[in-house]
Amino acid sequence: MAGAAYPTSPVRPTRGLAYYLRVLRVVGIIKFKAKYTGAALGYLWSLAKPLAYFGVLWLVFAHLLRTANQTDDFALFLLIGILLFTFFSDTVAVMLPSIVEGGSILRRLAFPPILVPLSASVGIFITFLVNVSAIVVFIGIGRVSPRVEWLLVPPLLAELYVFSLGLGLLVAALYVRFRDVGQIWELAVQLLFFASAIFYPIGILPDWAQKVAFLNPFVQVMQDIRHAVLGSSGPNDLTAATVYAGAGGRAIPIAIALILFATALAFFRREGRFFAERV
Amino acid sequence: MAVAIEVTGLSKSFRIPHEHRTYFKEYFLHPLRRTQYERNDALKDVTFSVEAGEFFGIFGPNGSGKSTLLRILAGIYVADSGRVQVTGLLSPFIELGVGFDLDLNARENIRINGTLAGLTQRQLDARFDEILEFAELERFVDQKLKNYSSGMLMRLAYSIAIQIPFDVILLDEVLAVGDESFQRKCFVTFDRFKREGRTVVLVTHQHDLLRGFCDRVLLLEHGVVGAVGSPGDLVGVPSEGALIG
Repeated sequence: MAGAAYPTSPVRPTRGLAYYLRVLRVVGIIKFKAKYTGAALGYLWSLAKPLAYFGVLWLVFAHLLRTANQTDDFALFLLIGILLFTFFSDTVAVMLPSIVEGGSILRRLAFPPILVPLSASVGIFITFLVNVSAIVVFIGIGRVSPRVEWLLVPPLLAELYVFSLGLGLLVAALYVRFRDVGQIWELAVQLLFFASAIFYPIGILPDWAQKVAFLNPFVQVMQDIRHAVLGSSGPNDLTAATVYAGAGGRAIPIAIALILFATALAFFRREGRFFAERV
Repeated sequence: MAVAIEVTGLSKSFRIPHEHRTYFKEYFLHPLRRTQYERNDALKDVTFSVEAGEFFGIFGPNGSGKSTLLRILAGIYVADSGRVQVTGLLSPFIELGVGFDLDLNARENIRINGTLAGLTQRQLDARFDEILEFAELERFVDQKLKNYSSGMLMRLAYSIAIQIPFDVILLDEVLAVGDESFQRKCFVTFDRFKREGRTVVLVTHQHDLLRGFCDRVLLLEHGVVGAVGSPGDLVGVPSEGALIG
């Protein structure tokens, strides 16, 4: 480098893993910080939302309707479900409008457009990790003793992240063409929340409905994580392996997550060449 | 001499729908109705080349395809047909500059733009102060950009664009909203680019710029190359666009 005011070109790649990771780190952290500056309670809001859901559902199902006694440790059972669902739905929700909102920079600089939704998702992931740590410290300790199965949690979270990213990329690319996608997703989130056995044991569903529910990778991940964290807790401790009768059944939702991700990625890349013109 | 930019038979058209079908509803209510499109041929069979180290001007009336051409050179738009070859690193300054997030401050926007352009943390740190100094925005570095005037935004954008290492720079209407002192600073950088042998493509309506800096100019009219030649021959009578520039 010449050290002059306008240095001659060092290598300045806009591809490769190091470049992607650098952008995700820099942009992700800046947007994460920006989200919470200016709000009086700042970061606490992102913890308040899942905790409020938890409070309401716990009150209703553990005290008013008393359906919760089918599960040994309903509070943790519910909390795991809500935290995972918040992570899943927030990731998709933040990716959905990202291309349209990032139009200003996409129209002026050539870079891989996939970085826009991916860097938007980084903040949600950080939030999730902080929330989990906070809750583990305040509630988890003393109620469950560590088990070997906990080692399964990180790969299961990775699967959930892949599934969320796949869905997020798909809706982000579709939203550029069809603004309805925003409303559709809002409705879909509500329906998924009720359909995903978050606040009720999946065992109360008829057999056929269990089979349908487990097609959703979110349900499989949630049940597997509940199983890993809480251990075997009676007839409602169901995983994909039990529902599809056989260890091979476990592969069905995993395959769905991977296929969705691959398809969404291909679709996003095809559409991505024209984002700058369409946003 | 080496060629920095080679454009061969470049065409680009946009389809502008008469009724914008952005909602699924349209498809359900009128599944058989074909959307009517108006074809806008922004560029038609454009061929030219720019030599390395050349200061190349592009001018023409509004809507003649200048910005579209620059966006294709920058790799932002995809051409329908034809070939574009740019040799060396490129820095674009298009439509009043780089893309900013107005809810973030200057510091954060510089980081985001520099990183997206491929700079490492260290390269960015080395240039950070210089970017602010050239833009004369040191005092405002922690202010959100929505509080900036258009002139300030433009200074920041130009400052970032020239600090991103480049061999070829694309400048679209760079002086449109700058004041006189900023214009003079830009002229100093133009001279510097020439001395350093960098390739500059400048889109402008200002004829004195075309005559003062450009080695060659290209006249673009309705998406077609009207003429390429020395500014002395081609730039004379002010074109209609000059009123805006």
